[in-house]
Amino acid sequence: MNPSNPPQAAEYGGDEVSAIVLDPGYSTTRAGFAGEDAPKSLIPTYYGKYNADGQEKIVYGDDVFVTPRPGLSVHNPLNKDGIVEDWDMAERVWEHSFMSRLTGTKAGNPFQNGLNDIANDELPAEMEVESDEKPLSDSPLLMTEPGWNPAKAREKTIEIAMEKWDTPAFYLARTGVLASFASGKASALVIDIGASNISITPIHDGMILKRGVQHSPLGGDYISSQISALFKANSPQPITITPHYLISSKTAVEAGQAPQAKYKTFPADKAPDASYRALLEERTLAEFKECVVQVWPGPTRLSAPGPNGIPNEDMARTYPGRPFEFPDGYNQVFGVDRFRVVESLFDAKAAVPDPESPFPPPTPAQTIPELVKASLAGVDVDLRPHLLANVVVTGGSSLLYGFTERLNHELMQMFPGPRVRVTAAGNTSERRFGSWIGGSILASLGTFHQMWISKKEYEEHGPNIVEKRCK
Amino acid sequence: MGPKRNPRKSSQRVRTPRKTAPPAPQRPFRGTIMPPFKDEHILLIAPGSQMTLAQLGLPETFTPAQSRFPTRMFPAEKKGEYEPYRVNEKRQQVKISNGTTAPKPDVEMKDAEAATPATEAAVKPEGETGATENPDESTKTVEEIFYEEDVASDEGAIYPIQNGRIVDWPCFFALLTHVYNTLSPPFHTPIMLVGQPAWSARDREAIAQFIFEKFKAPAFSMMDSALAACYGYGTSTATVIDVGKGKVDVTAVTDFAVNEHGRGIALEGCGGDAMTDRLVELLGHKGFTREMCEQLKRSNITEILPPGTPLPGAAATARQGANPAAAASTGGPDANDSAPRGPGDGTQTGTDANNEDEEEGVLDVAAIVSGNTTEYLANIEKEKTTNKKGATDPKAARLPNSKKEKASFQFEGFAPLEGEKAAASGPRQYVRHTRDIEVSVERFLLTSPRSNTGDRLTSGILEDIATQIHHTILAVPDATKRSELWDSLIIVGCGSKVKGFTQALLGVITQKFILSPSGTIFTSEIPSTFTTPLPTGGTNTPAPMGQPGPMYHPAAHGVNPLLVAATHNNPGMPGVMPGTPSMDPNMASHYRSTGHSQTPTSTKTLKLPEYFPDFKDQGNSNAPGASAGNTGVNPGASQSGHGSEEAIFLGAQMAAKVFFVVDQGLSKGYMSRADYNEGGPSAIHEYIL
Repeated sequence: MNPSNPPQAAEYGGDEVSAIVLDPGYSTTRAGFAGEDAPKSLIPTYYGKYNADGQEKIVYGDDVFVTPRPGLSVHNPLNKDGIVEDWDMAERVWEHSFMSRLTGTKAGNPFQNGLNDIANDELPAEMEVESDEKPLSDSPLLMTEPGWNPAKAREKTIEIAMEKWDTPAFYLARTGVLASFASGKASALVIDIGASNISITPIHDGMILKRGVQHSPLGGDYISSQISALFKANSPQPITITPHYLISSKTAVEAGQAPQAKYKTFPADKAPDASYRALLEERTLAEFKECVVQVWPGPTRLSAPGPNGIPNEDMARTYPGRPFEFPDGYNQVFGVDRFRVVESLFDAKAAVPDPESPFPPPTPAQTIPELVKASLAGVDVDLRPHLLANVVVTGGSSLLYGFTERLNHELMQMFPGPRVRVTAAGNTSERRFGSWIGGSILASLGTFHQMWISKKEYEEHGPNIVEKRCK
Repeated sequence: MGPKRNPRKSSQRVRTPRKTAPPAPQRPFRGTIMPPFKDEHILLIAPGSQMTLAQLGLPETFTPAQSRFPTRMFPAEKKGEYEPYRVNEKRQQVKISNGTTAPKPDVEMKDAEAATPATEAAVKPEGETGATENPDESTKTVEEIFYEEDVASDEGAIYPIQNGRIVDWPCFFALLTHVYNTLSPPFHTPIMLVGQPAWSARDREAIAQFIFEKFKAPAFSMMDSALAACYGYGTSTATVIDVGKGKVDVTAVTDFAVNEHGRGIALEGCGGDAMTDRLVELLGHKGFTREMCEQLKRSNITEILPPGTPLPGAAATARQGANPAAAASTGGPDANDSAPRGPGDGTQTGTDANNEDEEEGVLDVAAIVSGNTTEYLANIEKEKTTNKKGATDPKAARLPNSKKEKASFQFEGFAPLEGEKAAASGPRQYVRHTRDIEVSVERFLLTSPRSNTGDRLTSGILEDIATQIHHTILAVPDATKRSELWDSLIIVGCGSKVKGFTQALLGVITQKFILSPSGTIFTSEIPSTFTTPLPTGGTNTPAPMGQPGPMYHPAAHGVNPLLVAATHNNPGMPGVMPGTPSMDPNMASHYRSTGHSQTPTSTKTLKLPEYFPDFKDQGNSNAPGASAGNTGVNPGASQSGHGSEEAIFLGAQMAAKVFFVVDQGLSKGYMSRADYNEGGPSAIHEYIL
């Protein structure tokens, strides 16, 4: 700064407001201010419900993982496709995601913040009205949606944002588009491995190519079900996961030995619901995925013979196993099995069979290579090489060890002609929050200002405006 | 024109009422002319739910906070204004006589120092009432209203921070103003505020706006309390557990960055109050009041025993509750002392429950000087204990507290002086009285699960905290740091002052979460032959980052790296260069969240550096005096032993020294006035630490 410049006015007179970016996923909901590099608020989309003192109470946020409560049951306002089913609760969960860490409680009447001295009788009466402001009345809101979100749901979303939250400006963007923005591309083939879904979204010049959008349920939850199937079939004895909340203390045991732990019991009328236990088991499974599970790196499938003629399975067996200890102290080394549980993302035949699983056995069309094929079949031939050169991998489950490497091999085998280039952020949070980060970039662009749907426009045209403006 | 209009408009609506304040003195930009900040001109404020610590200036060697303000205000007469003390309104018949000066004492009273209002007030109104009775021709009586500050009362107080959250903004701002005015810093004083994790982004903006516009501070820094604790402990990576009054915060800090995701923010029902509640539950039927339980919790006979420790005199547990007659034993000689006595000898310290106490305080200096000091002091100490024990078995007295079935503590209470005279005239007065109360093994049970668990199913607060720690550490994306996080727990906050808290918490973690060695003996990372995700070219390709191999974090996993290397036969693992720059060049650190080993294999707490003798580890003390709220502004004098539980304040001092004095803003540690003028309140997020 040139010292000869006059200093700026001593009082700050501007009113910059940063937009809020809300990225509601099936497993977690992310919210934060546009322009920041990670969402400030990350809460589970799951919420807990229980009865206490004759009243129904609802638990939002991480608390559901920490405190077991009598009769607690866990729900998700979204369905397995990532589309909202329970609008009332979705609204409240989303509201919690930005109220808890971002907007917070209102600082209240500006007359009472100690900065405005006013004579006693000057207090205008209408100031009182403003005290029950709606949560977002001074922040524009950018929300994300999956590429297959139906028109009805989109209209409902803008309705909530405008009428319930009173946001002055709103925009609804596709997660795939945002993920490609996050990796700095305007055209890309986005492969998003989420918790409930995997999706392939072709994007050209920032526009989604709707006919090429593909999705299937082989996401993180499916992998969990595969791991559970593996545990059931485990020898010498099947493994059951007992979450931490049911254990008061454990004793160290040798690998493979029966656990010795003191368990907690709850009276039947107080015991948390099975859905709660399932959620907490999922926590252990998530740890298992982080620590043990590995994607067979390829180049050929796990069931196929390797390049030197030795079957890949035998090859995998020679690798040292990975130990894992369960909350009750049971621990075991996992060998080749740790590759099997994810193999069916690429090879439907390799799925670990489990008749009780909530997921039906995958069909070949649901695997990632087939989805990519189907997606590319839906777009213009001329675009395909360009898309294949810009494959963007995002989503929490894509962090599986060795995933991008395998994906790269699969794509190269399937499309030997054009150049395949797989892009994936190396950093965990960039990978997990790809679409949020894209939203953060988009909403903070100066040129984006003309894209917002303003409150006035909404009032003029009704919720249908979202169909016209957010393409 | 564009849709952008709208957000602007509506936001303006919110801020319009701000009166254009008189232009503040113009300040030059930082780095050009602004004079450097000095040690003695730095204002530190650390608001808590119960106490707000504050200090003007950094001493040579850092000390516990010099000023302590109860975090509460009282509504003033005018709506929207607040007073630091309760103000009583008193209507009084005052005779106006021609020559006499009757009302004068009251004028004095009003100005009386907060610390010693009782003295004058005790005597003078008496004379006055006598005077009114005496009919005098030349006087007439009128009713006048007197205001007086009642320093000891917390009746009607508003606590602006509850469970870390700011619940009453006007009151909170009034408190800040009170702190500011009391310390009255000079003009060029930067302010550092220690922020609670529970504050939302908007809350922080509001505070920044207030600080800049009300105090006209030249610079302001808001430091996260967890990060401040790390500064205090001199570590870049730690799990900070802040045990407060009503809540616990659990934060994982890695490389001086607070991990917001998975952070345990304001876990309710886990703080010091929860322990008091449990004591009330255990002892309530024996006639213990909440205040007694609070003091019992603070006393040095209360202890949390590590899980699995048998209680002394195990039979006592069975007896407990069945024998109320033996309970509520208000220790031997002074059982009848609960009646308030008259105003003492003009001081608040008032009555002595036990006459020997007086002498106990006085050491025979001659004896110390001439003889063997330690022996002398030890003798005194011994006498004291035996006296307290009612001179029973001297052997029993030597037992450690945890083995004793019964022990007594000294309860100190304030009782309002209810005499007719006192009520009619003069300020409300209090008498401090003390007595010994004996408690049984209940004093070890303050973290045991409550019988009325309410709506939680966990067994006790320690388990809640341990579970939160597990959740928080598991949520840290950089998995290679998790092991270190388990090994560097920092436990701060006054709730953790109870003896044995740390050990017991570690015990619970060990029981529930520590992995058995057999599960981790060969724990290593996935062998290197498979680790590298193949870079497929292009700038955005995942960098084959620091292979998470044993070479990288040999110590972190507690496994002999040679053993691991041998097992996995990693032929000459190349020291892979940190890979190609990724998308975000600022993101210097890459890490993996998969393919690592489980944690925790061990857990321990960090030790506070020893070069701050004023912050001793385990500052447990039998802090006398009623619950902290009643002590008024009392700069640490009577409360001895603020120890490691205030490491947050120590860290804030260090950070203030670094940011304000040493690097003068180079590291963006604070927001200057110029930054504020440019970016407004929301720019504070760029500076929040």
